[in-house]
Amino acid sequence: MAKMVGLSEELRLLDGMARDFALNELVQGREERDHYPFAPPCEDVLARAHQVGFFSLLLPEELGGAAEPVQALCLVLEEVCREDASLGGAVFTVALAQELLARAGAVEKLEQIYSRTVSVRDALLAFPSFHNPGDTQPNLAAERHKDGYRLSGGVDYVVLGNIAGKAVLPAKSGDRPGYSLFLVDLQAEGLEGSEPVLSLGLHACPAVDLRLSGVEGELVGEEGKGPDYFEAAVDRLSVAAAAASCGVMKGSFSTALDYARQRIQGGRKIVNWSEVRMILSSMAVKAKVAEMLVREAARAVDGKEPGWRLASRAAALQVQEEATELTCDGIQILGGNGYMQDYGQEKRFRDAKQLQSLMGMVPLRRLRYIRRIVDGESPWA
Amino acid sequence: MLRKSDSSLLLREFPDFTDTMHSLVAMEKMPRGVVDECREAVALARRFNRTVARNYALELDRRTQEDPTYLPWELVEEANRWGFFTMWIPKLFGGKGWSLTSIAPFVEELASECLAITNLIGVHYFGFSILVATWNIRLIDQISREVVEGEKTGKPCLVSGAVTEPEAGTDAEEVELLARAKVRCHARRVEGGYVVNGRKIFISNGHLSTWHILIAYEDLERPDESMIAFAVKNGTPGFSFGRMEKKMGQKGCPASELVFEDCFIPEENMLVAASRLEEMKLLSRAARRMKRGPRELSMQLIDFVVSATRPGVGAMGAGVARGALELALQFARETVVDGRPLVNHEWVQCLLAEMYMNAALARLSYMEANYANSMYGMARLLGFKPLYYYHRAMPTSVFDRLMPAANRLDAVTSAYRLLVMGGQSEEEERLASGWASLAKVAGTDLGVKNCQLALELMGQAGLRHDRRAEKCLRDAKLLQIYEGTNQLNRLNVFKCLVAPAAPEARAFED
Ligand SMILES: Cc1cc2nc3c(=O)[nH]c(=O)nc-3n(C[C@H](O)[C@H](O)[C@H](O)COP(=O)(O)OP(=O)(O)OC[C@H]3O[C@@H](n4cnc5c(N)ncnc54)[C@H](O)[C@@H]3O)c2cc1C
Repeated sequence: MAKMVGLSEELRLLDGMARDFALNELVQGREERDHYPFAPPCEDVLARAHQVGFFSLLLPEELGGAAEPVQALCLVLEEVCREDASLGGAVFTVALAQELLARAGAVEKLEQIYSRTVSVRDALLAFPSFHNPGDTQPNLAAERHKDGYRLSGGVDYVVLGNIAGKAVLPAKSGDRPGYSLFLVDLQAEGLEGSEPVLSLGLHACPAVDLRLSGVEGELVGEEGKGPDYFEAAVDRLSVAAAAASCGVMKGSFSTALDYARQRIQGGRKIVNWSEVRMILSSMAVKAKVAEMLVREAARAVDGKEPGWRLASRAAALQVQEEATELTCDGIQILGGNGYMQDYGQEKRFRDAKQLQSLMGMVPLRRLRYIRRIVDGESPWA
Repeated sequence: MLRKSDSSLLLREFPDFTDTMHSLVAMEKMPRGVVDECREAVALARRFNRTVARNYALELDRRTQEDPTYLPWELVEEANRWGFFTMWIPKLFGGKGWSLTSIAPFVEELASECLAITNLIGVHYFGFSILVATWNIRLIDQISREVVEGEKTGKPCLVSGAVTEPEAGTDAEEVELLARAKVRCHARRVEGGYVVNGRKIFISNGHLSTWHILIAYEDLERPDESMIAFAVKNGTPGFSFGRMEKKMGQKGCPASELVFEDCFIPEENMLVAASRLEEMKLLSRAARRMKRGPRELSMQLIDFVVSATRPGVGAMGAGVARGALELALQFARETVVDGRPLVNHEWVQCLLAEMYMNAALARLSYMEANYANSMYGMARLLGFKPLYYYHRAMPTSVFDRLMPAANRLDAVTSAYRLLVMGGQSEEEERLASGWASLAKVAGTDLGVKNCQLALELMGQAGLRHDRRAEKCLRDAKLLQIYEGTNQLNRLNVFKCLVAPAAPEARAFED
């Protein structure tokens, strides 16, 4: 497997395990799980993902984690998202919330959470992962109260907000610019969740709108420093978001190729029409380039190579966009069948578009990217 | 200055002037009343959107996500009350007789609010177009009058069009492909009619329709030469509904399977048969005049239909492109970034301008195709000025007194066939069909593009069902697939509009 060249034995094993997991646990029942919120949440799949350690890949060993590099998270996300990106959305959200705590130096909070993790609920951390809280003014306000803080207002689209134990939430505190991050117990008094949000994609990665009135929140890191932690987390995890999209691309391409090899129109297998080959070729090239980008950027991130931050962000912007185009073709190759839920392609189209919005609006992420370069950060050595 | 002969030689060079300037030519031919009708149609659609679709579209989509077998009868009844199912049925057949040119702007308007609702209304005219393309006046009249009756009684009577089969989709849309297709819907001629066996899939409105215009084949080895069309009514023994598809979008409009098991269809419900040119005397005269054999006749039938309906799909693309723009604009007005409303950021202004241009380009394409179809397509007679004004001025009741009896006469059918089928040249067929495909591809690709742009701009808000934009994207993707995938339509653009400049080229052979 060419893709494995340059990976350590450990990562190779992890990749194989993730692939097996995806094939054994995710293919079956994908359509039913996607029926959420009109069907029960897929807690069993989350529990099994927890058992194999997908929610603690980056955590230090002393917290029960695998202390893996970002490359490991990328491999797992890619394999998982090939079959069902909903689980990928959950794994990514938890990793992002953990990363935010880590960037804020809130190791003791991570310890508190993971030292007593028994159920999957304890291991899950919720976060509004399709939003950069710095893009718009937060609707949540934090007020000092004795030693702590009380939060009031709302946060929309908190991913895992109805099934996680705790959430990391952005709130405006005092009259400081920016926002602060708070750790909130999702069972706390005064916290109200909406009905699950019905979304474009990642249906089985549930989200809710939260309304808080005087809910206790533990400040994470320093007040007003939320944007710094968030941008640092984006630097590191953008490549993981790219990996998720790359997985969706590979899944879409494989399904399209298999179908084109079987479907006959105009007296021949459609794979033999040169226009169909052109589309398949464009898909194959995009998926391969995405894989190379993700691998290279993840290596740069883990090795802290010069320009790694922008490499990570560039990979996400590029791969996510290509994934939306590729999955559109992925439906097209299957014609009418591609538009139906039975073939998994329409789900990949929705998931790819949803994944594109991870960690904020695309154009604003593009503007941030160039602003950093204009301000002097070099994208390469 | 140029001599006339030089000028006409130059204008015939690729691309031929008449191939590209339909609106210019149409302007002088088109009755002025058509413009008024377009205005009225758009205004009516806007009112429908404000009073019905806007409140209902999301609820319908959500309900059908929950239960993919949900049938939106209340919507069918509402559209029936608004008179939408008879608006474009000619007065000769009891309908309201609006000019066909006005249907596309109407469709665009509806589509800017909800593509599922648009399809549910529009696809009735897809079924109706296949019916009309056969020029079997007796059956057109009978079915049209049932639709009109359904409006009066409040019991909607819709028409579906059934072409696609499990193993034949793209196949079924071009005779070159059809010649090699694995079609399975077989019609065997028996005494007094035909026995049909086979299945049709993805039939929009199948479960909601009363009449189904069915395409079958008498010889499965030579489907291109043995195409046959029937009108099948619900309740016909041997005909039943199969599954309903679980679609990604346009959920409010069902896609059904139609099952035919030893289904006997009487001769009087046979619309036209390519193999029976000789028997259908005047049709055969028309065909002879045009040097059309069974295969060419099949292609003409297909082209009659798609030349009328593909611009409609392009209009749906234009509509959803506009809908996406409107949602993005609203978001940009209400969202503050860096202390300023998004709409005041330069890059957003360029993005919104691009979205506006996409919608406008889609509209230009479908209107151009619309003009081509109104001049060269199957309903061009109705655009002929004296006929148009006569048709418009006469109350339907006058036609109702005269036409039903006349429409039952075989001679009337024959005369129409001679006029319309025999009257269309290959050049005209090529232009109407080529432009219809062009408009379909352009409009639908631009529609999908705008939905994608809207979602990118709206970020998290765009992903939520309650903000509408995600539904636009799910709905729009279907436009690139039905009425021939955009690949098939590109090939048709090549065949009709590019290949004349390369006489050695052969389409669909690869
Ligand atoms: C929701 C929905 C509603 C529909 N409504 C109706 C309806 O009301 N009535 C009706 O009759 N049909 C209807 N259709 C069917 C629709 O017209 C077909 O799906 C469409 O024609 C494509 O056919 P297919 O799905 O069999 O795809 P296929 O023909 O199998 O195509 C698969 C892929 O191969 C490509 N391909 C095939 N042949 C060639 C070639 N020669 N060259 C290059 N590429 C090629 C196609 O472009 C496509 O990408 C509907 C479809 C859907 C999904």
